[in-house]
Amino acid sequence: MSISHHPGDELLLSYASGAASEAVALIVAAHTTFCAACRATVAHAEAAGGSLLRDVAPVSMSSTAYESILSRLDEPAREVVKAAHLQSDVPAPLQPYIGTDYDALPWRHVAGGISHLPIRTKGGMKVRLIRAEPGSGVYTHTHRGEEWTLVLTGSYTDKTGHYATGDLQSTTPEVVHRPTADAGPVCINLAVTDAPLVFRGLMPKLVAKFHGF
Amino acid sequence: MDVGEATRLNALVVAVGCAQDRVAFQALFDHFAPRVKGYLMRLGAGNAVAEDLAQEAMLTLWRKAALFDPGKASASTWIFTIARNLRIDAIRKERRPELDPNEPALLPEIERGADETMDWAQAEDRLHAALAELPREQAEIIALSFLAEKPHSLIAAELGLPLGTVKSRIRLAMARLRQALGDQL
Repeated sequence: MSISHHPGDELLLSYASGAASEAVALIVAAHTTFCAACRATVAHAEAAGGSLLRDVAPVSMSSTAYESILSRLDEPAREVVKAAHLQSDVPAPLQPYIGTDYDALPWRHVAGGISHLPIRTKGGMKVRLIRAEPGSGVYTHTHRGEEWTLVLTGSYTDKTGHYATGDLQSTTPEVVHRPTADAGPVCINLAVTDAPLVFRGLMPKLVAKFHGF
Repeated sequence: MDVGEATRLNALVVAVGCAQDRVAFQALFDHFAPRVKGYLMRLGAGNAVAEDLAQEAMLTLWRKAALFDPGKASASTWIFTIARNLRIDAIRKERRPELDPNEPALLPEIERGADETMDWAQAEDRLHAALAELPREQAEIIALSFLAEKPHSLIAAELGLPLGTVKSRIRLAMARLRQALGDQL
């Protein structure tokens, strides 16, 4: 699989540093399941974090800290590590949010061949899955803030280019576009926006209002 | 920290992972716990919270040491990621979406990048030197990215810079780091 559209270095860095909101972390982590190059960049940025940890001014631990840890070394770990479901085409970081089967999700029909499913995260960003039947398009829209779209299955095209599975499109407020799903498999995207979309025309506006875009 | 210190720390984590070596664990505690606490306090945690989380980080190190892979990260980087995730969980109460932090072998369909098997302990020494040599305005953005938990748009606004300038400084800095790590990508 060859990925042509990647998150910018600043997005990968804020994921690695932990500064990214949960929503941005989710879309970046999901992208890295498709993309070895971005996994490497995240590893580099995390190494910068390790390097900064060398230089951080140390703050003394309390005098009883080590004793207290020693007394807990034999406690069983509380944490249960859940293995990712490998046969699923849902990226591992997304599985805790939506499970492992796109077809089993309670999709909400929007219009035409488009349905969507909001995903709850903390941090105030809007996150949702958008499912587009081949040939169907999202209404023409622009953005008040940034929008990131990760293609999970299928592919779509807008005036800026062609986006296939694993590609991540970053869109700034200046861009007005109408993404349309290509022929072939159903196109499912993970979309993150940091402000509501702005639709062109009255009908799309009413539909958008109703669906909480 | 001397050259070779990263290699020594890696060996200590491996000793904990393979043999539950408590002498090695104490050495790791002495080195890392105060740094993790310092990192958490730089990010705004109070003394008591930072102390608790630093202790949790050391317990996590003890429990997960067997999963530490020196071919994927240095000990310092690994502990940074543990502290980062504990902090997101405990202070922000958010989930941390990750590729698969505990068992990368679970994802066999993913081809490994060239540098995912490198000697990260040696690489860390080169990286540390490269970070020290970054132009000041680039080093500042990298440090703020880790120690100021803010989106880059806000960092840009506070520095009175256009977002594009911040992004290009990050690109330049990351290119330097890649170069220092000998990345072929």
